[in-house]
Amino acid sequence: MSHEEEQKDLVSHKKAQKAQERKAFRTTIADDDLEAAMEGERQELERTWARPTGIRGWFTDTDHKVIAMRYIKTAFVFFIFGGIEAALMRIQLSRPNNHFLSPDQYNQIFTVHGTTMMFLFAVPIVTAMGIYLVPLMVGARDVAFPRLNLFGYFIYLIGGIFLYTGFVLNTGPDAGWFAYVPLSGPAYSPGKRVDIWAQMITFTEISALVGAIVVIGTAFKMRAPGMTLNRLPLFVWAQVVTSFMIIFAMPAVMLASGFLASDRLIDTHFFNPAEGGDAILYQHLFWFFGHPEVYIIFIPALGFISPIIVTFARRKIFGYLALVLSLISTGFIGFGLWVHHMFATPIPQLGQSFFSAASMMIAIPSGVQIFCWIATLWGSKLNIKTPLLFVLGFFAIFVLGGLTGVMLASVPLDLQIHDTFFVVAHLHYVLIGGSVFPLFGALYYWFPKWTGRMLSERAGRWNFWLMFIGFNLVFFPMHQLGLNGMPRRVYTYLPETGWGTLNLIASIGAFILASGVAVFVVNVVWARRAGIVAGANPWKADSLEWSIPSPPPNYNFHNIPVVQGRYPIWQMTVDAPVVRGLSTTKRETLVTSVMDAQPELRFDIPGPSIWPLMVALGATVALIPGIFTPWAFLVGAILTGAALTAWFFGDPNYENKTARETGERSETVSRTPELQPKEV
Amino acid sequence: MTTRAVIDVTELPRHEFDTYDPVWWGNNLLLAIETSMFAILIATYFYLRQNFQLWPPPVAQLTATLRPLPELGYGTANTILLLLGCIPMVLADLAARRGDRRTSEIGLVICAICGFGAIVLRSFEYSAVYFRWDSNAYGSVVWFMLGMHMLHLMILTTETVLLAIWIFNREYDMKHRVDIVTVAVYWYWVVAIWLFLYAIIYFTPRLG
Repeated sequence: MSHEEEQKDLVSHKKAQKAQERKAFRTTIADDDLEAAMEGERQELERTWARPTGIRGWFTDTDHKVIAMRYIKTAFVFFIFGGIEAALMRIQLSRPNNHFLSPDQYNQIFTVHGTTMMFLFAVPIVTAMGIYLVPLMVGARDVAFPRLNLFGYFIYLIGGIFLYTGFVLNTGPDAGWFAYVPLSGPAYSPGKRVDIWAQMITFTEISALVGAIVVIGTAFKMRAPGMTLNRLPLFVWAQVVTSFMIIFAMPAVMLASGFLASDRLIDTHFFNPAEGGDAILYQHLFWFFGHPEVYIIFIPALGFISPIIVTFARRKIFGYLALVLSLISTGFIGFGLWVHHMFATPIPQLGQSFFSAASMMIAIPSGVQIFCWIATLWGSKLNIKTPLLFVLGFFAIFVLGGLTGVMLASVPLDLQIHDTFFVVAHLHYVLIGGSVFPLFGALYYWFPKWTGRMLSERAGRWNFWLMFIGFNLVFFPMHQLGLNGMPRRVYTYLPETGWGTLNLIASIGAFILASGVAVFVVNVVWARRAGIVAGANPWKADSLEWSIPSPPPNYNFHNIPVVQGRYPIWQMTVDAPVVRGLSTTKRETLVTSVMDAQPELRFDIPGPSIWPLMVALGATVALIPGIFTPWAFLVGAILTGAALTAWFFGDPNYENKTARETGERSETVSRTPELQPKEV
Repeated sequence: MTTRAVIDVTELPRHEFDTYDPVWWGNNLLLAIETSMFAILIATYFYLRQNFQLWPPPVAQLTATLRPLPELGYGTANTILLLLGCIPMVLADLAARRGDRRTSEIGLVICAICGFGAIVLRSFEYSAVYFRWDSNAYGSVVWFMLGMHMLHLMILTTETVLLAIWIFNREYDMKHRVDIVTVAVYWYWVVAIWLFLYAIIYFTPRLG
């Protein structure tokens, strides 16, 4: 092809692109006309986006806000269950030679505690924050795949109920939250306890994967015009990075638990050394998921911190680019650390050095972020409200946890304190400090958006200080206990060890921590009835979710806004353009391009449906009876397939609605005759 | 009278192929999950191989062959069938983009037949491995690899059949044309993954 031809080709290609772009164009409308039109549309929107109520609503409602609230409530109930288990363990350990719990009860309780907190509380609640807030922050009317989202919730709920059914029937798993073989294998754990654990993993991991797809789809394709990737809120960045980590990490645990279940149920030999299997393989598979899991819990919390700091420091974030790059590099480095959980296994020295170095390296992006936040806070006039208090608490606790993390990354020290209470102290400092404190801050921060009412500030301060003091009292002494040699997962110890005093202090701390959580629950119950009415933007914050009423209408945004900067509300001019022309009689949202958020499609959003529940039930038939007979998988697969088929052919009114819609055009926009190609 | 700038999106299409459509993203993200699953499964295969002096291990009975390499017949036939199946899928894919209903229909039907054929051939492949899933770790991991891929073949074939049923009986609208293009991506992915698995299961043991 000659040079001219090439040029010509390029021009015609550009022309074709232009033609495409012309489909969305800038125009103007008189303010009064807009007001009048919106008044008329409002009722139509209410009708179109009406939510099913009652029992039907329970099973079919696909509104992302409703699903996310259910996730958050369910996860919080599991948090309380996990907390009760922790309290029982602390009672047991409060003095030497205690017989409050039997060894077997203790094993079940610490296993279920860890499993609950990781799989049923931490991951679901942080993804649920994303499911609620990502569409609101990017200016969408719902998530990209609402029915898939509903399916994710049901499968999570069923998995959680399954684990606790086993637990109350004295069939709770008892091999630790990571269920190492050979202890969890068929030879040493007969019965159904570990099968329940392995199957619960399958449930929660399906739910997490589904949530990840929903979040990425929404964040990439449903942003308001003008919200280029460069303007994406840090909260959404954190959710996107987490979702990608879920996509690449969760399959490992799917295989680990799948191999374990098949070793136990159909006599495969993945982990059986007698037939060429390998017990260390299980640890590799588990931690290839398990370490990223820590960041899957932690990175969304980093996303809670940035908006809280921006709002209460009342200034732009310092180092947006550095923060985004830190999130992404944490996401990558997080996959290069898993072997540091296995330093006590025969790993080649080169491998040890590599993973040791990577484990220290991860401190760099964390450090960068903390310095950026400090720089944002520095010299600003701080408005210290409860959410910010929790963030400041995060700094103190997380930095301590990070320091012990660097210590544990060093191989010789790790060998010394492996499997002691030092590790317990470390992991609670990073997980509670890194995730639960920011989460509570986030709950205080977004509660007004969810309910329209403010939580009490006074109770909030009590809540924070009780949790902060209680937390340090429980877990700080554990560092010393670990150094003194107290192993984790022992149900009791002898008086001669001298561990009694520190354990008693820790147990007292546990009850102070629990009372902090109790204050929160009371605060929520009180605020739902009597909290101060919040209004749309009580904190005078900057991101889009605060531009709509609290609680948000079913359709989120009447007119999808056009974003003019990284801080949409703060930078919004009086005459900021809005998007017009989306249907009011059909669930529709705007789909935009991935990089530049240029309008591309008017996308149909599916409405309420019973089929997500049916598919979840089909999967349940495969998975739960599946621990008794492999035939259940066949039956379950057929039922799931049938339900999916019905889902596909489901909406009988689909064509009629489309036909009615295609010809219809919004009459509310008065067009200027000369159509300018849009430049959003 | 004050006026407000407006971006009018009334004229925007509802569906468009590839990166435009969220469905394309959803499908590809699911495939990313499954790709990482297969990558870890392949890593498991080679990890377990370290535990064996001979891979696959010798059969216990003296009457059997000493080095039970997986037989090539069914696996190779299946590979050829899957690769040939790509042709009607490419045609259906391109036809969906042009809006050529007849070609899409025929392409999908031939693909569905290829899918059924691949499932049938796959069920013979298990016996070509010499070991059952419960014989040893080699048998376990090879059966698991074949099984996970077979699961995808079944889902893919069902999806193709359902889509074909829709297009024969209902309208050939943009939504379902986008679906055809999306299923085509899934089809190419299933074939591509199989090429890796085929090379690993059938040829890496022959390399030594």
